Amino acid sequence: MSSLDMELTVNGRAVKRPAKARMRLLDFLRDELNLTGTKEGCGAGECGTCSVFVDGKLVKSCLMPAAKANGATIETVEGLAKRGGLTYLQQAFHKTGASQCGYCIPGMVMAATGALRENPHAGLDEIKERLGGNICRCTGYSKIFEAVELARDVMNGALPVTALDGPGAGASYIGNNVRRLDAPSKVTGALKYAGDMVMPGMLHMQVLRSPVAHALIKSIDISEAEAMPGVECVITADDVPGEDGFGVFVHDQPIMARGRVRYVGEAIAAVAAVDVETAMAALGKIKVEYENLPAVFDAEAAMASGAPVLHDYAPDNIVKHIPIRKGDVEAGFADAELVVEQSYETQPVEHAYLEPEAGLAYVDHDGVVTVISPSQNITHHRHMLAKIIDRPINKVRFIMSPVGGGFGGKEDMIYQGMLALAAMKSGLPVRLVFTREESIISTAKRHPARITYKMGLKNDGRITAVEFRMISDGGAYGLSTEGVMRKAAILSCGPYDIANVKIDTHGVYTNNTPSGAFRTFGAMQAQFATESHLDICAGKLGLDPFEIRRVNMMRSGASTHTKQKLGSVSLGLALEAAEKASGWESGPSVARGGVRGDLGRAGNREPCTLGARIRTSHDVDTKEDIA
Amino acid sequence: MSRKCRGRGMAASWYGIARTATIDRAGAWAELDDGGTAKIVTGVTEIGEGILTVLAQIAAEELGVRPEDVTIGDNDTARSPEAAHAGATRQTYMIGNSVALACRDARVRLDAEIADHWGVDSGSLKAFDGEIWAEETNLKMTMEEAVDICKKRGVVPVGSGSFTAHGTGLDPEDGSGSPWQAYVFGCQVAEVEVDIVTGEVQVLGIWAAHDVGRAINPRGVEGQIEGGVVQGLGQALMEDYKLEDGHTTTHGFAKYILPTSLDVPQINSILIEDPDPLSPLGAKGIGEPALVPTAPAIMNAIYDAIGVRITSLPATPEKILAGLVAKREQEGTRHHAAE
Amino acid sequence: MLNCDQYLMPETLEEALAQWVGAPEGSRLLAGGTDILPWAREGRAGHMHLPAIIDISRVKELHGYDVVDGRVRLGANLVFQRFLTSESLRHHLPCMPHCAVWFADDQIREQATLVGNIVNASPAADGTPAIFAMNGTVEIARLDGGSVARRSVAIGDFITGPGGTTLEAGEILTAVACDSMAGYGGAFEKVGQRRSLVISVVCAVGLVKLSPDKKTFADVRLAMGGIGPVPIRLDAVEAFLKGQPVSRKSILAAVKTAGDLVRSRTRREYRSEVIRGFIERAVEDALADCGVALLPPEMKEAVHVVT
Repeated sequence: MSSLDMELTVNGRAVKRPAKARMRLLDFLRDELNLTGTKEGCGAGECGTCSVFVDGKLVKSCLMPAAKANGATIETVEGLAKRGGLTYLQQAFHKTGASQCGYCIPGMVMAATGALRENPHAGLDEIKERLGGNICRCTGYSKIFEAVELARDVMNGALPVTALDGPGAGASYIGNNVRRLDAPSKVTGALKYAGDMVMPGMLHMQVLRSPVAHALIKSIDISEAEAMPGVECVITADDVPGEDGFGVFVHDQPIMARGRVRYVGEAIAAVAAVDVETAMAALGKIKVEYENLPAVFDAEAAMASGAPVLHDYAPDNIVKHIPIRKGDVEAGFADAELVVEQSYETQPVEHAYLEPEAGLAYVDHDGVVTVISPSQNITHHRHMLAKIIDRPINKVRFIMSPVGGGFGGKEDMIYQGMLALAAMKSGLPVRLVFTREESIISTAKRHPARITYKMGLKNDGRITAVEFRMISDGGAYGLSTEGVMRKAAILSCGPYDIANVKIDTHGVYTNNTPSGAFRTFGAMQAQFATESHLDICAGKLGLDPFEIRRVNMMRSGASTHTKQKLGSVSLGLALEAAEKASGWESGPSVARGGVRGDLGRAGNREPCTLGARIRTSHDVDTKEDIA
Repeated sequence: MSRKCRGRGMAASWYGIARTATIDRAGAWAELDDGGTAKIVTGVTEIGEGILTVLAQIAAEELGVRPEDVTIGDNDTARSPEAAHAGATRQTYMIGNSVALACRDARVRLDAEIADHWGVDSGSLKAFDGEIWAEETNLKMTMEEAVDICKKRGVVPVGSGSFTAHGTGLDPEDGSGSPWQAYVFGCQVAEVEVDIVTGEVQVLGIWAAHDVGRAINPRGVEGQIEGGVVQGLGQALMEDYKLEDGHTTTHGFAKYILPTSLDVPQINSILIEDPDPLSPLGAKGIGEPALVPTAPAIMNAIYDAIGVRITSLPATPEKILAGLVAKREQEGTRHHAAE
Repeated sequence: MLNCDQYLMPETLEEALAQWVGAPEGSRLLAGGTDILPWAREGRAGHMHLPAIIDISRVKELHGYDVVDGRVRLGANLVFQRFLTSESLRHHLPCMPHCAVWFADDQIREQATLVGNIVNASPAADGTPAIFAMNGTVEIARLDGGSVARRSVAIGDFITGPGGTTLEAGEILTAVACDSMAGYGGAFEKVGQRRSLVISVVCAVGLVKLSPDKKTFADVRLAMGGIGPVPIRLDAVEAFLKGQPVSRKSILAAVKTAGDLVRSRTRREYRSEVIRGFIERAVEDALADCGVALLPPEMKEAVHVVT
């Protein structure tokens, strides 16, 4: 059967319709039944955004061929509650603030529903295990656990239903745990993200991406692809009518590779066709001739003379160098009683928002080029796109769709330009939805950093001087590298009053996946080094970690490393609060874990090992010596 | 030596609020609408942090209505005023304050009409939770009535607000400058357990104390801290985007390993409120800063537990075990022979 | 993306064998399907267009399990979750709930089969070492002149290397049979890059049977995965422990008999380090499953019995 005759029950309704043999249950639900509460986060069974019940068993619908569901009874997130209502569990998610971006939430609600159906009295450890196949990138899971436990207790009668109510007005709405207004739409799967949106006559885009890291593009032949039935248009850099180039600080990246590719995964061309399969088939017909160029994959190698140059404007491959100088570091080190040097390294990190990039573009009745996408910066994107497509700025419109997680990764206009061009060329609405793999290879990462640290201190812990040097691989394009280097430099040496600092941060072009904005914008890399270094120094000086920080901390009115005079500084309050809440036992920073007395107190969870349900099923707590 | 070793570590942090070393700006419109409801329009939307709820709370407080009465029109360059980008820990600070200012502007229009209607000084008017009243009088009405009266007098109670944060650029030679007008500070303590058979690290507890200026929605702030901590934990222990000659070897979530429900510690948030004196609300921000101290606090805790200093992230089981082996060799003892 | 021209769902073994033997070259057979869909993606096999997929999940005679003469026979459609939910399987295969709970996640376990795990012959498979430890044999069927012919192969002879088995064209693996381990304590150890839904770097399975007075090891079964091209049965350690008194000292002495087991080319040092600890831990956890708890290592030689 190349097509399937599907006959099944979905959310209590009989469904009968044909489906393609290749379809997964996920495709059938989303594309045929428009049940878009079931999301596709990874397509490989790793994330759980697509969890549904099939004959009462929770499964990942991206791992289930639709044929397997034939004849089955399916329950999706849309079918959990009566229309317009919320189940106790959904109400509990609302109450505790368990949804943030919301993209994982339909799957999470399904997994939690499944957990409580399997065991209505499940303890926290078992709940965690049963949620173990569903990834959430926003919440840190904590409020989700709280919601499931709350719902369990309400369902078991241990708590009254009123425990699910929101807080009252109180004396003020500021400082009030008002329940999230967007939560009902997220816990029911009603909220439409860009990839859930459809328009009549909509085309589907697929993108041809570079298989090589650094090469000249000798030619692109799109004729065969363009001639395919079902293909409405094929676009390349040649279709850009205006001044091509985007980026957060420097506009060095073309919408699609222009004569040269600089990283694996860079867009070369894109096809808009009547369906994804046709668009994919057309990609296979595009012929690209590459002439490989020497490539560089290491930031320090890229800084060396004679290294391959990525961008003509930056012959030294430096995207940005930020220097900060204060006082006299040589004098500071001379004055020190202890000098400690150490290097640190951090890795590139993927944003891993559960919503892969997606967008829908069209040209409206007034000729306004409109792009709907989960962009974190519609203002700047509108500016850039207007230039790129050579239209007046009020003929370009960006609509920010609900963002299924951003963390900085959706600040870059990495695909919206292609959508706009295809909509302009075809005259039809065009939608692009990235696969997880495409999202991972083609979009920015957290800047990896190599940091060399030199700190001078007095025996009482006072820091006399710091020399801090950070080299960061910015990858093939500038994106946010300049800003990341700036923030890293400003915050590098931490909230400490240091008279003498010499700080340098360097962002460097290489042929790696570009680095870009990512929650903390360089600050975590730099402060990871500082905070590790302080503990090393505290160990050598026999000081408690809190003490060495108190000795050096900025106080109200302090001057920062950039010589800004601060107003109120709350660091002392934060140190005191964390020390007190954790019941910290004071002592030198010298691997005293084996002897310290403050371990294992309230505020910790139990160490986790799998099998909570096995352990609770043959509970054993009496012991007897035999030896 | 036991097979499971525990330890504790801490780290402090600081962060700047809103865009760096530049003038940041955001705008918003407000309207007190029929039925005592409200419309807020601003050019940026939810990325999951809870900004829509925060804006509704701010609007409710400033306008005297309830959060559920507030409709937020957002996120459209052709229909709403510029709010710039959703990032840089600027949403509550920039958009929140511009919404507060817009609401105050709308209230000026409404209050002038109601004060005149009642014959009282507009400074005596207070509004909360759907009602407006004149202090030290018995004059009180619903916001629905107030809007109706205002409109019958020919005035639509609308307002607009623009908020500015004044940062200055850095000197290109010595980097001096005032990049932000508001700073936040934080501190986290981590407790870990290291399995010395496998090298696995479990983070059992995090105590996270963060200054947020003023918590508009404390539960939302906790959610940001919890999410930040777990992203920090992911970077500390497992996440690693790998490349070989420019080609990734971590294409999907089977290879790019993220924290799941079984990897997260109990997170104990402590909110510190040191209000920002330069803005109407006093709130600062929390989105990014919560992540900063987590990884170093965990590395410091690992060192405390087993005496191995990890300076290269992530601290994978393999690196931990290699560190233990190196340490044993250095100490000339082999724990397996100890029994 | 996985595309196919035909998706076939036979209902009898004969039908399945006929379709399989007649399928165009490049066709695939699946039961749960949880491996092939992720396999057909970028970074792995990439886009796949198959002439036919033959899905055996509706072949009734491959469902379920039975226990005959001390052997447990598990049908090819038996999914991992049953090792957790079936009281009878928990009784006969006491290591399998521990193994299953570490395998993928609750949802994938509702679809993924043990037999699929065996046929794929991944060196990191979580399910296969247990089959080695329980003297498993696989049952294979093929059509021979219109009737079903069957053969059995010991698991160690079936898996030849990463992805390699002795399954021949036209054959279907219909069941796996292994010893009933009723009365044993079972354990499973695993380390990956996190705890849930992750590929094993090393895994170990342990089964322990005690003498009636619970003072000596009557039988021990140990196998490991992730450390070489195929799972390894720890014969020397097993032989050493049989008849030894239940004590930490016995276990530590047994570990020394294991020798160098790592055959993997990557992470050799790490795996070697972990193996020793995992042998200890697997035996101890299996003891705990028998109701015997050894005290922590620093409290020497005391043994607790848990009733």
